[in-house]
Amino acid sequence: MAKLKLALYWAGACGGCDVAVLDVNEKILDVANLADIVFWPIALDFKYHHVEAMPDKSIDVCLFNGCIRSSEQEHIAKMLRAKSKVLVSFGSCACFGGIPALANLTTRAEIMERAYIEAPSNENPNKTLPQIKVSVPEGELTLPELFEDVLTLAQVVPVEYFVPGCPPTVDLILKVVNALATNSLPPVGAIIASEKSLCDECDRKKEKKMISKIYRTHEIIPDAERCLLEQGLLCMGAATRGGCGALCVKVNIPCRGCFGPPPGVKDQGAKLISSIASIYETKDEKDIARMVDEVADPAGTFYRFGMSDSMLKRKRVQGK
Amino acid sequence: MKKVTIDPITRLEGHGKIEIFLNDDGSVANTYFQIPELRGFEKFCEGRPVEEMPRIVPRICGV
Repeated sequence: MAKLKLALYWAGACGGCDVAVLDVNEKILDVANLADIVFWPIALDFKYHHVEAMPDKSIDVCLFNGCIRSSEQEHIAKMLRAKSKVLVSFGSCACFGGIPALANLTTRAEIMERAYIEAPSNENPNKTLPQIKVSVPEGELTLPELFEDVLTLAQVVPVEYFVPGCPPTVDLILKVVNALATNSLPPVGAIIASEKSLCDECDRKKEKKMISKIYRTHEIIPDAERCLLEQGLLCMGAATRGGCGALCVKVNIPCRGCFGPPPGVKDQGAKLISSIASIYETKDEKDIARMVDEVADPAGTFYRFGMSDSMLKRKRVQGK
Repeated sequence: MKKVTIDPITRLEGHGKIEIFLNDDGSVANTYFQIPELRGFEKFCEGRPVEEMPRIVPRICGV
Protein backbone atom coordinates (compact mmCIF):
# COMPACT_ATOMS: atom_id res chain seq x y z
CA MET A 1 0.00 0.00 0.00
CA ALA A 2 1.32 3.45 -0.85
CA LYS A 3 2.04 5.59 2.16
CA LEU A 4 -0.73 7.92 3.28
CA LYS A 5 -0.18 11.65 3.12
CA LEU A 6 -0.90 13.09 6.56
CA ALA A 7 -1.21 16.73 7.61
CA LEU A 8 -1.56 18.10 11.12
CA TYR A 9 -2.46 21.68 11.90
CA TRP A 10 -3.18 23.92 14.88
CA ALA A 11 -5.53 26.87 14.62
CA GLY A 12 -6.55 28.62 17.88
CA ALA A 13 -4.89 26.11 20.15
CA CYS A 14 -2.21 25.48 22.77
CA GLY A 15 -0.20 22.76 21.03
CA GLY A 16 -1.36 20.12 23.50
CA CYS A 17 -3.14 18.16 20.75
CA ASP A 18 0.06 18.10 18.69
CA VAL A 19 2.04 16.90 21.69
CA ALA A 20 -0.65 14.27 22.40
CA VAL A 21 0.16 12.75 19.01
CA LEU A 22 3.74 12.34 20.23
CA ASP A 23 2.47 10.85 23.51
CA VAL A 24 1.85 7.59 21.63
CA ASN A 25 5.61 7.11 22.28
CA GLU A 26 7.21 4.34 20.18
CA LYS A 27 3.92 3.87 18.28
CA ILE A 28 4.82 7.11 16.48
CA LEU A 29 7.10 4.85 14.41
CA ASP A 30 3.98 3.02 13.19
CA VAL A 31 2.61 6.39 12.12
CA ALA A 32 5.88 7.07 10.29
CA ASN A 33 5.64 3.68 8.54
CA LEU A 34 2.04 4.33 7.60
CA ALA A 35 2.19 7.93 6.50
CA ASP A 36 4.37 10.68 5.12
CA ILE A 37 3.72 13.89 7.00
CA VAL A 38 3.31 16.72 4.51
CA PHE A 39 2.47 19.56 6.92
CA TRP A 40 2.92 19.85 10.71
CA PRO A 41 4.04 23.27 11.94
CA ILE A 42 5.03 22.13 15.44
CA ALA A 43 7.46 19.54 14.13
CA LEU A 44 8.32 20.12 10.46
CA ASP A 45 9.29 23.14 8.40
CA PHE A 46 6.58 23.30 5.74
CA LYS A 47 5.12 26.71 4.91
CA TYR A 48 1.59 27.74 3.92
CA HIS A 49 2.73 28.22 0.32
CA HIS A 50 3.79 24.55 0.19
CA VAL A 51 0.24 23.49 1.12
CA GLU A 52 -1.24 26.04 -1.29
CA ALA A 53 0.76 24.41 -4.12
CA MET A 54 -0.58 20.90 -3.42
CA PRO A 55 -3.33 19.60 -5.70
CA ASP A 56 -6.84 19.40 -4.24
CA LYS A 57 -7.56 16.14 -2.35
CA SER A 58 -3.87 15.22 -2.38
CA ILE A 59 -3.67 14.95 1.43
CA ASP A 60 -5.27 11.69 2.60
CA VAL A 61 -5.95 12.72 6.20
CA CYS A 62 -5.67 16.03 8.02
CA LEU A 63 -5.88 16.11 11.80
CA PHE A 64 -6.97 19.68 12.51
CA ASN A 65 -6.88 20.98 16.07
CA GLY A 66 -7.77 24.38 17.47
CA CYS A 67 -10.74 26.70 17.23
CA ILE A 68 -11.43 29.19 14.44
CA ARG A 69 -11.42 32.78 15.59
CA SER A 70 -9.47 34.69 12.93
CA SER A 71 -9.53 35.22 9.18
CA GLU A 72 -6.22 33.37 8.90
CA GLN A 73 -7.52 30.32 10.77
CA GLU A 74 -10.63 30.31 8.57
CA HIS A 75 -8.48 30.58 5.44
CA ILE A 76 -6.20 27.68 6.49
CA ALA A 77 -9.25 25.59 7.45
CA LYS A 78 -10.74 26.12 3.99
CA MET A 79 -7.40 25.45 2.30
CA LEU A 80 -6.81 22.19 4.24
CA ARG A 81 -10.42 21.17 3.59
CA ALA A 82 -9.85 21.54 -0.16
CA LYS A 83 -6.52 19.71 -0.08
CA SER A 84 -7.67 16.83 2.17
CA LYS A 85 -9.77 13.76 1.41
CA VAL A 86 -10.53 13.28 5.11
CA LEU A 87 -10.62 16.18 7.54
CA VAL A 88 -10.67 15.26 11.24
CA SER A 89 -11.79 17.75 13.87
CA PHE A 90 -9.15 16.86 16.44
CA GLY A 91 -9.49 17.84 20.08
CA SER A 92 -12.00 19.85 22.07
CA CYS A 93 -11.16 23.27 20.56
CA ALA A 94 -11.82 22.12 16.99
CA CYS A 95 -14.86 20.05 18.05
CA PHE A 96 -16.59 22.39 20.52
CA GLY A 97 -14.58 25.62 20.81
CA GLY A 98 -12.64 24.38 23.85
CA ILE A 99 -11.11 26.62 26.49
CA PRO A 100 -10.55 29.47 23.95
CA ALA A 101 -14.33 29.60 23.44
CA LEU A 102 -14.65 31.00 26.99
CA ALA A 103 -13.84 34.18 25.04
CA ASN A 104 -17.45 34.00 23.81
CA LEU A 105 -18.41 35.04 27.35
CA THR A 106 -16.73 38.37 26.67
CA THR A 107 -16.25 40.49 23.52
CA ARG A 108 -13.45 41.10 21.06
CA ALA A 109 -13.20 44.73 22.16
CA GLU A 110 -12.91 43.76 25.84
CA ILE A 111 -10.22 41.19 25.01
CA MET A 112 -8.21 43.71 22.96
CA GLU A 113 -8.52 46.32 25.70
CA ARG A 114 -7.39 43.92 28.41
CA ALA A 115 -4.57 42.25 26.46
CA TYR A 116 -3.01 45.30 24.82
CA ILE A 117 -3.89 48.26 27.04
CA GLU A 118 -4.84 47.27 30.61
CA ALA A 119 -2.56 44.29 31.28
CA PRO A 120 0.03 45.38 33.86
CA SER A 121 2.95 44.09 31.81
CA ASN A 122 2.09 46.40 28.87
CA GLU A 123 4.01 49.51 27.89
CA ASN A 124 1.55 51.05 25.43
CA PRO A 125 1.02 54.77 26.18
CA ASN A 126 -0.56 55.44 22.77
CA LYS A 127 -3.04 52.59 23.33
CA THR A 128 -2.17 51.02 20.01
CA LEU A 129 -4.20 47.95 19.10
CA PRO A 130 -3.20 45.38 16.47
CA GLN A 131 -4.25 46.53 13.00
CA ILE A 132 -5.22 44.39 10.01
CA LYS A 133 -3.02 46.62 7.83
CA VAL A 134 -0.29 48.97 8.91
CA SER A 135 2.16 51.06 6.90
CA VAL A 136 5.78 50.93 7.98
CA PRO A 137 8.65 52.86 6.34
CA GLU A 138 9.58 49.77 4.31
CA GLY A 139 6.09 48.90 3.09
CA GLU A 140 2.94 47.34 4.46
CA LEU A 141 2.35 44.74 7.18
CA THR A 142 -0.82 42.74 7.60
CA LEU A 143 -2.39 40.73 10.40
CA PRO A 144 -5.46 38.48 10.31
CA GLU A 145 -8.79 39.88 11.46
CA LEU A 146 -9.85 38.61 14.86
CA PHE A 147 -13.48 37.43 14.75
CA GLU A 148 -16.02 38.50 17.35
CA ASP A 149 -16.92 34.82 17.98
CA VAL A 150 -14.87 31.69 18.52
CA LEU A 151 -16.10 28.99 16.12
CA THR A 152 -15.68 25.23 15.83
CA LEU A 153 -14.01 23.77 12.75
CA ALA A 154 -17.32 22.26 11.57
CA GLN A 155 -18.96 25.71 11.77
CA VAL A 156 -16.53 26.79 9.02
CA VAL A 157 -16.00 23.74 6.77
CA PRO A 158 -17.49 20.22 6.44
CA VAL A 159 -15.67 17.67 8.59
CA GLU A 160 -15.58 13.86 8.25
CA TYR A 161 -14.73 12.83 11.83
CA PHE A 162 -14.53 14.22 15.34
CA VAL A 163 -11.97 13.16 17.94
CA PRO A 164 -12.83 14.95 21.20
CA GLY A 165 -10.68 15.49 24.26
CA CYS A 166 -8.42 18.11 25.76
CA PRO A 167 -6.28 16.58 24.48
CA PRO A 168 -7.49 13.35 22.81
CA THR A 169 -6.09 10.41 24.76
CA VAL A 170 -3.40 8.10 23.43
CA ASP A 171 -5.96 5.27 23.15
CA LEU A 172 -8.20 7.36 20.90
CA ILE A 173 -5.28 8.53 18.76
CA LEU A 174 -4.19 4.90 18.30
CA LYS A 175 -7.78 4.02 17.39
CA VAL A 176 -7.61 6.61 14.62
CA VAL A 177 -4.16 5.42 13.48
CA ASN A 178 -5.32 1.78 13.42
CA ALA A 179 -8.46 2.69 11.50
CA LEU A 180 -6.28 4.44 8.92
CA ALA A 181 -3.80 1.54 8.79
CA THR A 182 -6.51 -1.03 8.20
CA ASN A 183 -8.62 1.24 6.01
CA SER A 184 -11.55 0.73 8.38
CA LEU A 185 -12.71 4.25 9.10
CA PRO A 186 -16.20 4.56 10.62
CA PRO A 187 -19.13 6.15 8.74
CA VAL A 188 -18.65 9.83 7.97
CA GLY A 189 -19.79 12.05 10.82
CA ALA A 190 -18.65 9.61 13.53
CA ILE A 191 -17.37 10.89 16.85
CA ILE A 192 -14.40 8.69 17.67
CA ALA A 193 -14.88 8.12 21.41
CA SER A 194 -17.37 6.19 23.56
CA GLU A 195 -21.07 5.94 22.69
CA LYS A 196 -21.90 6.27 26.38
CA SER A 197 -21.64 9.03 28.95
CA LEU A 198 -18.68 9.44 31.26
CA CYS A 199 -20.89 8.27 34.17
CA ASP A 200 -21.13 4.89 32.41
CA GLU A 201 -17.37 4.42 32.55
CA CYS A 202 -16.88 5.94 36.02
CA ASP A 203 -16.60 3.27 38.72
CA ARG A 204 -17.55 5.50 41.64
CA LYS A 205 -20.49 4.36 43.79
CA LYS A 206 -23.80 6.02 42.94
CA GLU A 207 -26.28 5.83 45.80
CA LYS A 208 -29.12 7.91 44.38
CA LYS A 209 -28.40 10.48 47.11
CA MET A 210 -30.02 13.90 46.94
CA ILE A 211 -27.88 17.00 47.55
CA SER A 212 -28.62 20.05 49.67
CA LYS A 213 -25.46 22.06 49.03
CA ILE A 214 -23.15 22.68 46.07
CA TYR A 215 -19.49 22.81 47.08
CA ARG A 216 -16.58 24.42 45.30
CA THR A 217 -13.67 22.02 44.83
CA HIS A 218 -11.51 23.63 47.54
CA GLU A 219 -14.27 23.49 50.15
CA ILE A 220 -14.30 19.73 50.75
CA ILE A 221 -12.05 16.72 50.29
CA PRO A 222 -14.35 14.31 48.51
CA ASP A 223 -14.67 10.63 49.33
CA ALA A 224 -12.62 8.79 46.71
CA GLU A 225 -15.22 6.01 46.25
CA ARG A 226 -18.51 7.89 45.98
CA CYS A 227 -20.04 9.80 43.06
CA LEU A 228 -18.69 13.36 43.10
CA LEU A 229 -21.99 14.94 42.07
CA GLU A 230 -23.77 13.14 44.93
CA GLN A 231 -21.19 14.71 47.27
CA GLY A 232 -22.25 18.16 46.04
CA LEU A 233 -19.36 18.78 43.63
CA LEU A 234 -20.27 19.89 40.14
CA CYS A 235 -19.11 17.00 37.98
CA MET A 236 -19.95 17.14 34.28
CA GLY A 237 -19.88 13.34 33.90
CA ALA A 238 -23.61 12.91 33.33
CA ALA A 239 -23.52 15.43 30.46
CA THR A 240 -20.21 14.32 28.94
CA ARG A 241 -19.27 11.68 26.39
CA GLY A 242 -17.06 8.90 27.72
CA GLY A 243 -13.88 7.69 26.11
CA CYS A 244 -11.25 9.41 28.23
CA GLY A 245 -11.01 6.56 30.75
CA ALA A 246 -12.41 8.84 33.49
CA LEU A 247 -9.00 10.42 33.96
CA CYS A 248 -10.05 13.37 36.12
CA VAL A 249 -12.58 11.60 38.34
CA LYS A 250 -10.04 8.83 39.00
CA VAL A 251 -7.84 11.41 40.74
CA ASN A 252 -10.77 12.77 42.77
CA ILE A 253 -11.36 15.80 40.54
CA PRO A 254 -14.77 16.42 38.98
CA CYS A 255 -15.14 16.17 35.19
CA ARG A 256 -15.27 19.46 33.28
CA GLY A 257 -16.72 18.01 30.11
CA CYS A 258 -13.89 18.17 27.58
CA PHE A 259 -15.34 15.25 25.55
CA GLY A 260 -18.47 17.24 24.76
CA PRO A 261 -22.09 16.10 25.06
CA PRO A 262 -22.93 12.36 25.02
CA PRO A 263 -24.97 10.83 22.18
CA GLY A 264 -28.50 12.23 22.02
CA VAL A 265 -27.67 15.41 23.93
CA LYS A 266 -27.71 18.68 22.04
CA ASP A 267 -26.66 21.07 24.78
CA GLN A 268 -24.15 19.90 27.37
CA GLY A 269 -24.86 22.65 29.92
CA ALA A 270 -28.64 22.28 29.75
CA LYS A 271 -28.22 18.52 30.28
CA LEU A 272 -26.11 18.98 33.40
CA ILE A 273 -28.45 21.63 34.81
CA SER A 274 -31.30 19.16 34.41
CA SER A 275 -29.24 16.40 36.09
CA ILE A 276 -28.48 18.64 39.07
CA ALA A 277 -32.05 19.89 39.35
CA SER A 278 -33.26 16.29 39.55
CA ILE A 279 -31.14 15.58 42.66
CA TYR A 280 -31.79 18.82 44.57
CA GLU A 281 -33.16 17.69 47.92
CA THR A 282 -35.31 20.69 48.65
CA LYS A 283 -38.57 21.97 47.22
CA ASP A 284 -38.23 25.22 49.17
CA GLU A 285 -37.72 28.20 46.86
CA LYS A 286 -35.28 29.96 49.18
CA ASP A 287 -33.13 26.84 49.43
CA ILE A 288 -33.21 26.40 45.68
CA ALA A 289 -32.14 30.02 45.18
CA ARG A 290 -29.28 29.51 47.64
CA MET A 291 -28.10 26.41 45.81
CA VAL A 292 -28.26 28.21 42.47
CA ASP A 293 -26.07 30.93 44.00
CA GLU A 294 -23.65 28.26 45.18
CA VAL A 295 -22.77 27.53 41.57
CA ALA A 296 -19.80 29.90 41.37
CA ASP A 297 -19.54 30.21 37.60
CA PRO A 298 -22.44 28.55 35.79
CA ALA A 299 -21.57 29.39 32.17
CA GLY A 300 -17.84 28.85 32.65
CA THR A 301 -18.44 25.49 34.34
CA PHE A 302 -21.30 23.99 32.33
CA TYR A 303 -19.77 25.18 29.04
CA ARG A 304 -16.10 24.98 30.05
CA PHE A 305 -15.08 23.39 26.74
CA GLY A 306 -18.24 23.75 24.71
CA MET A 307 -19.31 27.38 24.39
CA SER A 308 -19.04 27.53 20.58
CA ASP A 309 -20.99 24.32 20.11
CA SER A 310 -23.68 25.18 22.68
CA MET A 311 -27.16 26.54 21.95
CA LEU A 312 -26.10 29.71 23.75
CA LYS A 313 -23.00 30.18 21.50
CA ARG A 314 -21.98 33.39 23.25
CA LYS A 315 -22.90 35.96 25.84
CA ARG A 316 -25.50 38.29 24.39
CA VAL A 317 -24.10 41.77 23.96
CA GLN A 318 -26.63 44.52 24.51
CA GLY A 319 -27.89 46.04 21.27
CA LYS A 320 -26.57 43.16 19.13
CA MET B 1 11.46 47.08 -1.82
CA LYS B 2 11.67 43.27 -1.90
CA LYS B 3 9.96 41.36 0.88
CA VAL B 4 10.69 37.86 2.15
CA THR B 5 7.87 36.28 4.16
CA ILE B 6 8.40 33.34 6.50
CA ASP B 7 4.93 32.02 7.36
CA PRO B 8 4.37 30.16 9.55
CA ILE B 9 7.40 30.00 11.80
CA THR B 10 7.66 26.29 12.60
CA ARG B 11 8.93 23.93 15.28
CA LEU B 12 7.83 26.08 18.19
CA GLU B 13 4.67 26.50 20.23
CA GLY B 14 2.33 29.09 18.86
CA HIS B 15 1.93 31.12 15.74
CA GLY B 16 4.38 33.52 14.20
CA LYS B 17 5.22 35.22 10.94
CA ILE B 18 8.38 37.06 9.92
CA GLU B 19 8.52 39.75 7.23
CA ILE B 20 12.00 40.74 6.01
CA PHE B 21 12.31 43.85 3.83
CA LEU B 22 15.39 43.92 1.58
CA ASN B 23 17.26 46.87 0.10
CA ASP B 24 18.05 46.88 -3.64
CA ASP B 25 21.52 45.47 -2.92
CA GLY B 26 19.92 42.52 -1.10
CA SER B 27 20.88 43.64 2.40
CA VAL B 28 18.21 43.62 5.11
CA ALA B 29 16.45 46.97 5.59
CA ASN B 30 14.21 45.85 8.41
CA THR B 31 12.57 42.75 9.87
CA TYR B 32 9.20 42.43 11.58
CA PHE B 33 8.08 39.57 13.78
CA GLN B 34 4.32 39.21 14.06
CA ILE B 35 2.03 37.03 16.19
CA PRO B 36 -1.15 36.46 14.17
CA GLU B 37 -3.08 34.94 17.07
CA LEU B 38 -4.85 36.01 20.23
CA ARG B 39 -7.13 33.94 22.42
CA GLY B 40 -7.67 36.35 25.30
CA PHE B 41 -6.91 34.38 28.48
CA GLU B 42 -6.11 37.77 30.08
CA LYS B 43 -9.80 38.63 29.76
CA PHE B 44 -11.79 35.42 29.86
CA CYS B 45 -10.12 34.17 33.07
CA GLU B 46 -11.61 37.16 34.87
CA GLY B 47 -14.66 36.13 36.88
CA ARG B 48 -13.80 32.42 36.71
CA PRO B 49 -13.27 30.72 40.10
CA VAL B 50 -9.65 30.79 41.22
CA GLU B 51 -9.70 27.07 42.05
CA GLU B 52 -10.48 26.36 38.38
CA MET B 53 -7.41 28.20 37.09
CA PRO B 54 -5.13 25.15 37.29
CA ARG B 55 -7.43 23.53 34.73
CA ILE B 56 -7.89 26.58 32.47
CA VAL B 57 -4.51 28.25 32.15
CA PRO B 58 -2.50 25.12 31.21
CA ARG B 59 -4.22 25.57 27.84
CA ILE B 60 -2.24 28.74 27.25
CA CYS B 61 0.54 26.39 26.13
CA GLY B 62 0.26 22.62 26.02
CA VAL B 63 3.70 21.90 24.60
